[in-house]
Amino acid sequence: MKEFQETLYDSISQCFRIDKLYYESKTEHQHLMIFHNAFLGRVMTLDGIVQTTERDEFIYHEMMAHVPLLAHGEAKEVLIVGGGDGAMLREVRRHPGVERIVMVEIDAEVIELARKYLPNHSQGAFEDPRLELVISDGMEFVRNCEAGRFDVIIADSTDPIGPGEVLFSDDFYAECHRVLKEGGVMATQNGVPFFQLDEVRTTRRRMGRHFADQTFYSAAVPTYHGGIMTFGWGSDEPALRQVSEKVLAQRLSEAGFQPRYYTPEIHLASFALPRYLLDALEE
Amino acid sequence: MSSPAAGRALRYGASEEEKARYHGLARRHGTPLLVVSRERLRVQYRDLQKRLPDVSLYYAIKAFPHPAVIETLAALGCHFDVASEGEIELLQALRISGRKTIHTHPVKKSQQIKAALRGGSTTFVVDNLEELGKLTPWRHRVGILIRLSFPSETAAVDLSRKFGCPPEEAPEIAERAQRAGFQVRGLSFHVGSQSLSPQAHVDAIEQCRRLLERINERLPHPLGTLDIGGGFPVDYELRGFDYDAYFQPIRRALERLPRDLHLIAEPGRYLVAPAVISISSVIGKSRRGGLRWYYLDDGIYGSYSGQLFDHARYPLQFPDGEGPRSPSVLAGPTCDSIDVIAENLDLPELNEGDLVIGRMMGAYTAATSTRFNSLNAAKIVVEEEDFDVG
Ligand SMILES: Cc1ncc(COP(=O)(O)O)c(C=O)c1O
Repeated sequence: MKEFQETLYDSISQCFRIDKLYYESKTEHQHLMIFHNAFLGRVMTLDGIVQTTERDEFIYHEMMAHVPLLAHGEAKEVLIVGGGDGAMLREVRRHPGVERIVMVEIDAEVIELARKYLPNHSQGAFEDPRLELVISDGMEFVRNCEAGRFDVIIADSTDPIGPGEVLFSDDFYAECHRVLKEGGVMATQNGVPFFQLDEVRTTRRRMGRHFADQTFYSAAVPTYHGGIMTFGWGSDEPALRQVSEKVLAQRLSEAGFQPRYYTPEIHLASFALPRYLLDALEE
Repeated sequence: MSSPAAGRALRYGASEEEKARYHGLARRHGTPLLVVSRERLRVQYRDLQKRLPDVSLYYAIKAFPHPAVIETLAALGCHFDVASEGEIELLQALRISGRKTIHTHPVKKSQQIKAALRGGSTTFVVDNLEELGKLTPWRHRVGILIRLSFPSETAAVDLSRKFGCPPEEAPEIAERAQRAGFQVRGLSFHVGSQSLSPQAHVDAIEQCRRLLERINERLPHPLGTLDIGGGFPVDYELRGFDYDAYFQPIRRALERLPRDLHLIAEPGRYLVAPAVISISSVIGKSRRGGLRWYYLDDGIYGSYSGQLFDHARYPLQFPDGEGPRSPSVLAGPTCDSIDVIAENLDLPELNEGDLVIGRMMGAYTAATSTRFNSLNAAKIVVEEEDFDVG
């Protein structure tokens, strides 16, 4: 195979040239590839779907980490579910106030592969002393976790078909709500709504049941083909969405790092949703 | 050389070269064997491509689900008709993209739908609204083909009794599916397997042409694909079937369709039947009621299962037998009395270790063989060279 053709949708498909194939899984049950593309750099795909590319992963990971962390402002305990490539960890650990990062990944092999073939994703993040790495099913982990443990939960999941399916379930949102501290927030990967409007509707229904304030924010990640993608947002503290640009800027400067995509203005603007999405949510 | 006996082509003897090839294979691998010829597969694929020039061919994996067959056809640009998780796994193991498949089983569990999507297979055949409902969670991802039923009297295996909606219901299914947010790709049918008259295809294509016209006048999203199924016959009787005469009217019917319509076919038998032979050995003989009985190491519960499930009568060749012929029975190795491959055959005397060759044994043979009596299935051997099919 000299080309990767995505198999998400029947009538439309994006196609990447494979300039060098670094890795291809040999099992019949999942098909994982890591290859190089001249424009995108290293690309990882799973079961025919783009997971991450070196060129645009910063948009996804910055938005998913910094929006909840800076909205919260004093997060100490952070849970990452999934995120085996280590890039979410890389972004979370840029916040000096965070004291403990628990990362729960179901597949130890993904971590090994990513460290080997996608080193720019983790950039040494796995060595952080604040990290507690747990190889386990994310659902199992939150079910067995004590209540009120985390300030921020980030669900960095794959497609809702396959092993990631449970991370889109009613039960998962319920357990996450339980293990969040008062005033905590969870953010989730929620797909590209232009092509899959139902994902937004389903998440609203399931997540909205457990959180007093449930909404979505968005960013366009070019290789998640189809315009903006949405991130699910769940919290019992509506004030987390009212933090001013000035305060966000203050917190960012205190954290002392320079994002490439995130700005306080984008943070606030990303909660503004297009009409077709609002209509779908109001149905 | 060929002589039909009770609707079955028989051939006595073989050239020295042929004999050496069969005995060589039997010695090297033991019997029973099924021998696949990659070259014959290629010949069949190219032949069908030539006969149906604007049609994308999707090999129906169920006919002979073997990696070597899939790989050989894929190398020629063939696509695949899948009907189960297992068939998708076969393709995944060979790194063949799901985009080269359609999922044609009209009834599936939700688990199978998910497995298909994970395998990249996104076009699904349905024939009723109930089944469409199962696809609702993925309605924005999948494409739909609506399967129609066109019962045929000239096919050996009817495929319209169990599946397919009456053509007059198609417009409503298409409309309701589009309203529910599905992308409806088009229509499909299967006139039945080993369909001996082209009229079945011609009539079905013509009806679909009119239906598509009607549907496309009314619906916001025009249907752009017609899947004409499989069913193309092979010449089990070795009487020199006239394929030119068979395919010409089908081609004519296709030419009357709009030029921009995507055409798909799902041939199984036509591609693979002539590409496989069976080699079995005589393992015992007796004389019962004035007849000679020969027991082989393969039979109805094994590679010859298609005689039961698929109503096929495979041509038989006896490379070793010589001398006067007398009425004989060929039986399989199991303890069951229905395990008889052929009766009323005029055969020369055979001896233990003599070979019996079954020809045209690629379609629905190994695919349906059983493990009855805990006997091993025939070993499948893949060769490059073609067979002398005549
Ligand atoms: C849906 C479907 N497609 C294709 C085929 C292959 O048919 P044939 O071997 O007659 O070409 C079958 C056979 O059962 C089928 O059920």
